[in-house]
Amino acid sequence: MLSEKLSLEGKGVVITGGGTGLGREMTLAMARAGADIVIAARRTGPIEEVAEEVRALGRKSVAISADVTDTDQVKSLMDSAIDELGKVDVLLNNAGIVRGQGAIPIWEISDDDWRVGIEVNMSSAFYCARAIAKHMVERGGGKIINVSSGFGYRGGRDNYIYCVGKGGIVNFTRVLATSLGRYGITSTCIVPGFIPTEGTDESRLTLPRGEFIPIGRVGHPHEMGAVAVFLASGASDYMNGEAFIIDGGGLAGGAAPTGHAPEIPLVI
Amino acid sequence: MSIPSEWDLTGKKAIITADRRGWTPSLASALVEAGASVAVAGSDASDMSDAVDAVRSLGGKAMAITTDLTDRVSVEAMVFRAEDELGGVDILVNNASAEFGKRFEHVTENEWSMLMDFNVKSVYLTCQAVGRRMLKQRSGRIVNIGTALSQRGLWNSVAVCAAQGAIHQITTALALEWGREGIRVNGIGAGWISTSEPSEEDQRELLVRYLPSRRKGHPDDLASLMVYLSSDACDFVTGQTFFIDGGALAHA
Repeated sequence: MLSEKLSLEGKGVVITGGGTGLGREMTLAMARAGADIVIAARRTGPIEEVAEEVRALGRKSVAISADVTDTDQVKSLMDSAIDELGKVDVLLNNAGIVRGQGAIPIWEISDDDWRVGIEVNMSSAFYCARAIAKHMVERGGGKIINVSSGFGYRGGRDNYIYCVGKGGIVNFTRVLATSLGRYGITSTCIVPGFIPTEGTDESRLTLPRGEFIPIGRVGHPHEMGAVAVFLASGASDYMNGEAFIIDGGGLAGGAAPTGHAPEIPLVI
Repeated sequence: MSIPSEWDLTGKKAIITADRRGWTPSLASALVEAGASVAVAGSDASDMSDAVDAVRSLGGKAMAITTDLTDRVSVEAMVFRAEDELGGVDILVNNASAEFGKRFEHVTENEWSMLMDFNVKSVYLTCQAVGRRMLKQRSGRIVNIGTALSQRGLWNSVAVCAAQGAIHQITTALALEWGREGIRVNGIGAGWISTSEPSEEDQRELLVRYLPSRRKGHPDDLASLMVYLSSDACDFVTGQTFFIDGGALAHA
């Protein structure tokens, strides 16, 4: 039954960066599908609010403040999650930052910018996966879902840190899949295209309505929900190491600017 | 300055197919400059005779063989003649491709068939006819010149993209199948190519401003790689398609 396969009833989920933006939408969608969820982020305000919303849906939810670039805090996050939920079936590594990571010429990027950006956007997923992998191995299975970006597949002009971090996430997913598959742990990666959230700096959008995207519009945060539910559920049990791209066709195009449509008669 | 040994094709015999895009003179000239003798195969309306003229103006040896690249008998006769007159065949460069841009809902069955025949079936026919000889001699190099549209969609280009995808996978699969027989099959994925000199007007074109290279490519941009992929030095490289696209595929 499809509804059974897609159900997250009785599943314990940990999501990082789950209080705002795409993370919030994915959290609520998974809760509606039946999951109990530990929501982690640095700032407590937003995650407390989302946890309350999840509880209002009749699910268990706890907000835990944690800096996912601090390995001690990550370890105690996972220990608390196991305590609170009894187990962790799904880890959704969503934490990352877009803000302040825009176009910076390479010679202006400091060591600290680089290290912090790579820590937050890439290493955090490694720290979290490392902290929960043994638990999943002992339980005989689990799902690790990473969040990359269209910029993990393509170069954005002067956008070094974010693109490199997110590119790393794509291959980190493949390594996890190759290494942990034998323990029943599957790993996948969500690749969102352009989906503005409350954290998106509108002034940086040259084409805010998404004319540059093949379907002619940007994505809506709630559209991430179904993807998260699918990848967290039994419906995706045979998917491992792969990316789920949700980008309005962005990555299918790109060989030419949007709308470039040659009309050439066929002459052999 | 002499050509580095990896790019030396002295004594090699090559067949290159021709079309109407005008890339063949550059590519055939590079083969000859590297030391190969060349047979150019294509229709009389193609850039075949331009290619032969270009090669001869370099003092090289080239012959034109009028061929219908979509017809088995014509292709086999061409390969037979090329082998006979050049004294063998070591290299096949599948360069011929037709351009076509039309909204998909208006593409006729006839256009679809013509395009697939010219862009894909021709590769099958030449690879098979030349490949049988390469299998006998247990050596050979095949270079399929495709485009980056094997990787990306483009408006008005469903048929062209489908054909490019097919060529890409012919390269991958054939490399595997003939890998133990000393035959190497590789591809070049071209980006936006123009045969005219870049002008200031080009620089204002949206497509040109979009490209990281800020210019369209020229067939000469493909030539060095084609020569390497045709050479003896290219023995551990097979089944790969290399993109020369001014950064188009890296672009977000």
